[in-house]
Amino acid sequence: MQRKVRGIGKKIIMNIIFVCFLLYAISLIYPLIWAFLSSLKTSTEYMTTNKINLPQTWEFYNYVKAFQILNIDGNNMFTMLFNSIWFTVGGSFVGMAVSTMVAYVVAKYRFPGGQTIYWIAIVTMMIPVVGSMPSQFKVYTALGIIESPLLLIAFAGGFGFNFMILYSFFKSLPSSYIEAGFIDGAGHFTCFFRIMIPQAIPVVSALAIVSAIGFWNDYNTPLLFLKNFPTLSSGLYMYQIINTRNLDMPTLFAGILMSMIPIVALFTVFQNSIMDISLSGGLKG
Amino acid sequence: MKKNIFNNYLKKFDDMPKAFRKSKYIFCYLMVALAVINFCIFYVAVNINSILLAFREFTGYDEYYHEQYVWSFANFIRMFKDFALPNSTVGVAVKNTLKYFATNIFFMIPVSYLVSYFLFKQVYGYKVFRVIFFLPSIISAVVYVTVFKNFIQTFGPLYMVLKGISGYELPALLSNPKTATPTIIVYTIWTGLGINMILYQGAMKRVPVEVLEACEMDGGGWFHEMFYVITPMVWPTLSMTIILAFTGLFNSSGPILLFSEAGTVAGANDTTTIAFYIFQRTQTGGALEYPAAIGIFFTVASIPIVILTRALFKRLDPEVEY
Repeated sequence: MQRKVRGIGKKIIMNIIFVCFLLYAISLIYPLIWAFLSSLKTSTEYMTTNKINLPQTWEFYNYVKAFQILNIDGNNMFTMLFNSIWFTVGGSFVGMAVSTMVAYVVAKYRFPGGQTIYWIAIVTMMIPVVGSMPSQFKVYTALGIIESPLLLIAFAGGFGFNFMILYSFFKSLPSSYIEAGFIDGAGHFTCFFRIMIPQAIPVVSALAIVSAIGFWNDYNTPLLFLKNFPTLSSGLYMYQIINTRNLDMPTLFAGILMSMIPIVALFTVFQNSIMDISLSGGLKG
Repeated sequence: MKKNIFNNYLKKFDDMPKAFRKSKYIFCYLMVALAVINFCIFYVAVNINSILLAFREFTGYDEYYHEQYVWSFANFIRMFKDFALPNSTVGVAVKNTLKYFATNIFFMIPVSYLVSYFLFKQVYGYKVFRVIFFLPSIISAVVYVTVFKNFIQTFGPLYMVLKGISGYELPALLSNPKTATPTIIVYTIWTGLGINMILYQGAMKRVPVEVLEACEMDGGGWFHEMFYVITPMVWPTLSMTIILAFTGLFNSSGPILLFSEAGTVAGANDTTTIAFYIFQRTQTGGALEYPAAIGIFFTVASIPIVILTRALFKRLDPEVEY
């Protein structure tokens, strides 16, 4: 649906807005292009020549070198990539699994405590806890999940934003599906896994992608609790801090640009469903 | 008959055979078990432990070298004393936190609302703009900050361009305590419009076309359309983002850590915020009682703000139905 813009005044405003948007878009894109071009220079060329010049020779070898020299305590980029993958996949999987389960029963079943769980979810979302990191650090250390993939159990929380969206989704799904399942002799688990989950896949996967983006880009948690398991985000940051005095900038650019490829790819593929959650989600009211 | 029983099974569930009812409860509690256990440990226990940490004071070691603590208000007293000193870290942290908060409320929310409106009005290339503006919300801050830092560095691209055009020499913005925080704030604005924009656009898309057409026929201009038609209709979303900004007041911050260099924070301690200060104290190790006390103090301080904002916005709600 194309809405026509009428009137000369409006057209002028539209053109001014277009120019502003264009400049803003360029300001967001150009630094990335500049980083890409810089990643193709040799270290000496980057240091000595004008930084906005095009590379004299295109050193694609920097992208191989990134895997060799970007290294933090013996963890190279392959290890960081591996850490990023288990941290992202594991974290978003346990989070989504638990919140889907709890949202489903709270939305569809009546049982003592169900309403309490709903209210706990609401109230905890409303109270902004400022800086619980010191206490988290103590508790995680006591539990022995610090510096270990076991940390993932900390993310198996069922409440928060995902719970609210899934709760309103399951609430809106007709119960007749479950009834039909019961008539055919299915149990509660069968109904959940074979009837409800397949219908929830679009919502669940969109939320999972958003949470995966969050985990992939998270540098705070790995810096606090997984110092020995640097992910791409925390590792490439630590590398810069440790090697400030002799940074091979072009290779670092090559590394950080590669670190964003999986997320950009994921976003490109699922772009519509990501934008959709915010449209249909339970955010309204 | 069977159909009757199952009809609206939520209400009639209790009419079902006993075995079935029993299995229902087992199922329900199994399904919520993980979430409840996780909540008890990682929310309840963690926050109770925060309170315990905040109210204890280290007094030394006993003969077996065990750490000794007493219950006291010492951490809070220390915080108030720190706060009273000129240029204390806590004072700077509160000031900077308020700056980030004000930027969000007075600049980022209105600007992203305006941007959303014009994207909604389908300015040329709006589909491409929408994706590009959202890009910084997907790409890791580690990537964007690294590029941004090098971009504004002395002899970096921005420096060269400015010098080429006007001869102006861009100073080293991040190492000067006066300009470090404003620079990071500019960065948060530059990369932070995406999320709200997506929410607002989603809400604007739900506004029925007939309403907009009626407004246009009645001769309403853009100003009129935006403030009297669209704003009341997208109010639930708009107010939600404002409420969230208010409730997260003391958590307002930027990616300050990423702007640090060679182990020192950009602009040293002048860039810190409450959230960052607590993070930094935890990261560097050492006594965690004091940062825990600061966290507890500001969590409690934000509760009345949450209640007041919610009450206020409930009153403001135009309650448009469509």
